Amino acid sequence: MTYETPVAVAPPERRAAAPVRREGGVLSQRRGTVATVIMAVLALLWLFPLVWALINSFREYEYTQVNGYLSFGGWTTSNYRQAWSQGDFGLHMKNSFLITVPAVLLTLWLSSMVAFVLARFSYRFNLALLGVFLAANLLPPQALLIPVFRMFREVPLPYFMSDSGSMLNSFWALILVNTAFQMGFCTFVLSNYMKTLPHEIYESAELDGASVWRQYWQLTMPLVRPALAALATLQVTWVYNEFFWATVLIQQGDKLPVTSALNNLRGQFFTDTNLVAAGSIIVALPVLVVFFALQKQFVSGLTLGSTKG
Amino acid sequence: MSRPLSTAIPRSTVATTAATRRSVLRGLGLGGLAVGGASLLAACGGDSGGGAASGSGATVKFGINEAEGAGAAHDRLAAIAQAYQKESGTKVEVNAVDHNTFQESINTYLQGTPDDVFTWFAGFRMAQFAENGLITDLSDEWPIDGLNDSFKQASTAADGKQYFVPISYYPWAVFYRKSVFEKNGWEAPTTNDDFMALMDDMQGKGITPFAFGDKDGWPAMGTFDILNMRLNGFDFHMSLMAGDEAWDGDEVKGVFDTWRKLLPYHQADPLGRTWQEAATAMGKGECGMYLLGTFVVDALGENGEDLDFFTFPELDSSIGSDALDAPIDGFCVAAAGKNQEAGKAMAKWLGSAAAADAGNNAADAPFIAANSGASTSTYSDLQKKSAEVVGAAANIAQFMDRDTNADFANTVMIPSIQAFLKNPDDIDGVTASIQEQANSIFG
Repeated sequence: MTYETPVAVAPPERRAAAPVRREGGVLSQRRGTVATVIMAVLALLWLFPLVWALINSFREYEYTQVNGYLSFGGWTTSNYRQAWSQGDFGLHMKNSFLITVPAVLLTLWLSSMVAFVLARFSYRFNLALLGVFLAANLLPPQALLIPVFRMFREVPLPYFMSDSGSMLNSFWALILVNTAFQMGFCTFVLSNYMKTLPHEIYESAELDGASVWRQYWQLTMPLVRPALAALATLQVTWVYNEFFWATVLIQQGDKLPVTSALNNLRGQFFTDTNLVAAGSIIVALPVLVVFFALQKQFVSGLTLGSTKG
Repeated sequence: MSRPLSTAIPRSTVATTAATRRSVLRGLGLGGLAVGGASLLAACGGDSGGGAASGSGATVKFGINEAEGAGAAHDRLAAIAQAYQKESGTKVEVNAVDHNTFQESINTYLQGTPDDVFTWFAGFRMAQFAENGLITDLSDEWPIDGLNDSFKQASTAADGKQYFVPISYYPWAVFYRKSVFEKNGWEAPTTNDDFMALMDDMQGKGITPFAFGDKDGWPAMGTFDILNMRLNGFDFHMSLMAGDEAWDGDEVKGVFDTWRKLLPYHQADPLGRTWQEAATAMGKGECGMYLLGTFVVDALGENGEDLDFFTFPELDSSIGSDALDAPIDGFCVAAAGKNQEAGKAMAKWLGSAAAADAGNNAADAPFIAANSGASTSTYSDLQKKSAEVVGAAANIAQFMDRDTNADFANTVMIPSIQAFLKNPDDIDGVTASIQEQANSIFG
């Protein structure tokens, strides 16, 4: 990420004196080993519960209940089959998809427009506006539970959009709530990112006669693609994993997203923990796939705005 | 665990300001179109309009607290819904939500867009809903053939009207392995002396008398309930639950003190053990007995042929042992439901023997029907005995978390009982703290 300004005549001694960057950065060999050990231990701490769940999701409940979880044996894949059918995950995955995709697209679209204005135009209230967006981000959703619930109850929707006749029990409600809660963060990241774009581009665009809309859509949007990709990855994860609003605003079992539907695997009293582990792994898979598929974008998008040329 | 919504919010009068609606719709439409997600979103809406009349051709929405795939519990309710649809011609739309989610979001459910008829249970919380105007008066539907006075009583709220229709129940009792008792020549105790002798004998043979686990928080409530009912009587128990008696008085302290003396006969460190693990310990014969509901068989992965139970023996001969916890499940009609007439009609039918039979004939495991006319042919031995024992009981409580304020049960009693189990010697501290919190909750 170092950016060296090209100098016409560079003294050769200075170049040689520049610190040689080796793999591992500035750490010495010994310190590097220590760091690796610490990181390995931390990684293990993080991975242990996941791996433990993964292992036990392949074991029979009857076996582990009798022999304890420290035993070895009782291997089966039936937990996965049972979790998929008992949790009705096909339906709930579809619900999650119908909520997540529009919510993420809407969030990115709206927040990129706000960010564009905040970054490109100097109004007196720019900073205040950004502050408001960020402040809303700091409010815990729990504090807004009752106002949002009552507001949505009073908003009528035609029956073809929501069979409850109101915002409650409809995907619209979840899409809107998620969009509203994620916009603050996205606006913040995008506006910071857009501020790093050189101002000269806009001046020449202006000279060429590009309208504000065109500056936004055809100039800024392609340039912030890395940031959009990184945010999209994050947003998909967050909206997909969202649990709280879904349980509050949706009261119809067949409309719950897949995270809330995990509860379908628990009985009134009895819980087959191995089955729940299998269900959790299934539910976590889409997020992992999205993350690994977009990993490169994610890292580059987050760091690209961090150095100024 | 219930959301802080327990204060009654008057039911919404739907404010239809056209301008608001239009602008919201426009906003949504624009957003949807612009991101190219409009076609995706089209799937959001449902298609049901919902009729308004009852009887043939009408539609009634039926909210049930068991998710599809939850096994017999769901199958029974689904079969009941189907049977009603066939018999009355009313279309029944089932909304299946898993048990815990349903119970935890009941407040938002009832104040939002509830189904017409929904599954619930008898007790204090049902009465609270009635008081807050969230459920519909069903006194016109009562009496219902085959449901006796004690069920009518359990369905009645503070205003003397019925708001509930029971369908089934299950008792809490002391379960044991028949084979283990036979092998050791033990018998179910009836007096306190027999009981103590039995526990001493078990300990002498290296068997822990009582399996015990309270990681889940609620199982130990059953122990408190039964000790309180045995030591202070049913009436005191119920008014204590309603917040009318002192939690730091001698009576409650006496309960905790007796419990403290019984703790050495229980499995140690109960806070680290779920009820399922405790049940397994009893199933494997490491423990002799387990005080739990009949659902104990679920954790053993068997049909309960080698299980038997007895009601908790008397501790005070002047009080006796004729009271027990036997939670009753059933149905209410939501006041915010769209089709009140159809809901009431269905609720009445749900109390009938036909409804119970329809459920029991369709599932692997039957419930114990509340209606005396229901067939008992599918019952297991445990259930036949349960029906007998509950029928013989003079007083029936519903279990602590149903008999008292939900906030009190979940946020006060669970941590308090767990604190007591962690440090059984600080009874004064625990009871004083409960009383303090009870003051703020019951007012």
